[in-house]
Amino acid sequence: MHFDPTIPFKYWDALLIGLGTSLRLTLICLAIGIALGFVTSQARRSRLMPVRAVAIFYVELFRGTPVLIQLFWIFYCLPMLIGAEPGNFISAVLSLSLYAGAITSETFRAALKSIPREQYDTCRALGITGLRLAIWVVLPQALLRAIPTLLSNAVALFKESALISAVGMADLMFIGSSIANRTGRPVEMLTAIAIIYFTVAFPLTRIVGRVETRILRRLAV
Amino acid sequence: MVQDKLLKIHNLHKSYGDLDIFKGLSLAMDRGDRLVIIGPSGGGKSTLLRIVMGLEDITGGDVYLDGKPYILRDGGKTKIDHKLQARVGMVFQHYTLFPHLDILRNLTLAPVKTRGIPRAEAKAMALLERFGLAAKARAYPSQLSGGQKQRVAIARALMLDPDLLLFDEVTSALDPELVAEVEAVMMELADHGMPMMIVTHDMHFARNIASRVVFAAGGVVVEDGPPEQVLDNPQVARTREFVERVFARKK
Repeated sequence: MHFDPTIPFKYWDALLIGLGTSLRLTLICLAIGIALGFVTSQARRSRLMPVRAVAIFYVELFRGTPVLIQLFWIFYCLPMLIGAEPGNFISAVLSLSLYAGAITSETFRAALKSIPREQYDTCRALGITGLRLAIWVVLPQALLRAIPTLLSNAVALFKESALISAVGMADLMFIGSSIANRTGRPVEMLTAIAIIYFTVAFPLTRIVGRVETRILRRLAV
Repeated sequence: MVQDKLLKIHNLHKSYGDLDIFKGLSLAMDRGDRLVIIGPSGGGKSTLLRIVMGLEDITGGDVYLDGKPYILRDGGKTKIDHKLQARVGMVFQHYTLFPHLDILRNLTLAPVKTRGIPRAEAKAMALLERFGLAAKARAYPSQLSGGQKQRVAIARALMLDPDLLLFDEVTSALDPELVAEVEAVMMELADHGMPMMIVTHDMHFARNIASRVVFAAGGVVVEDGPPEQVLDNPQVARTREFVERVFARKK
């Protein structure tokens, strides 16, 4: 049996459906994750110790454990805890969003920290304090600074989403490896899947570099 | 009726842990004064401006603005009257413009968002015009030279019509060829009677702009007088030593 590069093309429609699922999942989890990450980054700066503690525990747990195990927690342990099956898609969204929230909260935290002390002094001298300081000065700068890393987070999440195939979600990885098993052509199929992931991720990583340069130039004051 | 001093600092104490920055510093300023503060580095010149701006806690003493208590110690805490604080403005060494906003909005942010000042934009444009920056209204800070940024920072402080403007080494971060344009703007403000308190290393500029020079060292005011006295003919040995050293270094 020799390498036959035409095999994946016979299944292009199925792979496309898988890619659609992967992209949809990534985008949904990214949106939820960014919102969750932002809230968590704020919770970590809370004056209330229990709020801080919960936020830190959540972030460190999801940053410090394999995503695959997080998926198993949500898919198999959560139903036992709540006594109901949320369904595959919901479980996938839930687990990847929690993961995305943990990593993006660190992105936001770093961005907030990177705002120089002098900006706060200047605002006090101008009478811009409290909520106005946050809304008009701190957050816009923090969000701008966070954009490149958030894009990197998005690429990472897209790739990590391949893990949900392990719990039976029909994403690109799942469909590709099913075809590989059925046809006995793992080399061709897995290579094709890798190329598809790369085709989506590579332009994004290039954009990250460009955006980063532009934003840093703008914020270099 | 005797008019109150614009600013009166009385018996100011400030320490960081064991380090005493001010040990009973007293200083008063009239409306017409342009005060330049000189002194050894690490002597707290910038800290003094930050205190007057209300950015620092104090350890003891009090500060009056227009005869009203502005900053004082009460119950172990520093109390700042924010209404009075709003009448003081400050320009910092590193410009600290808002990088995410264009120049016009750098000027209008505080007036519009915190004070609801009407026609802030027209006022901002007039100020930019006056400082030769009208063409930059829609540019972003990163597109400006250091000298332009610092002039914008001065214009931004002026938007709030301060009764007293503080300048903290505003030319120290600038390339030498850009210093003149910033100093020219400050001279223009001086001509308009703007009360200023200035910390600078530029002795030549100090002589030109100051109505009074204050030599602060060791946590107190050592000598206080017109520039011809303090810079050219100091009465106190310690001042003489400092001034001679500074001018010797220049040559």
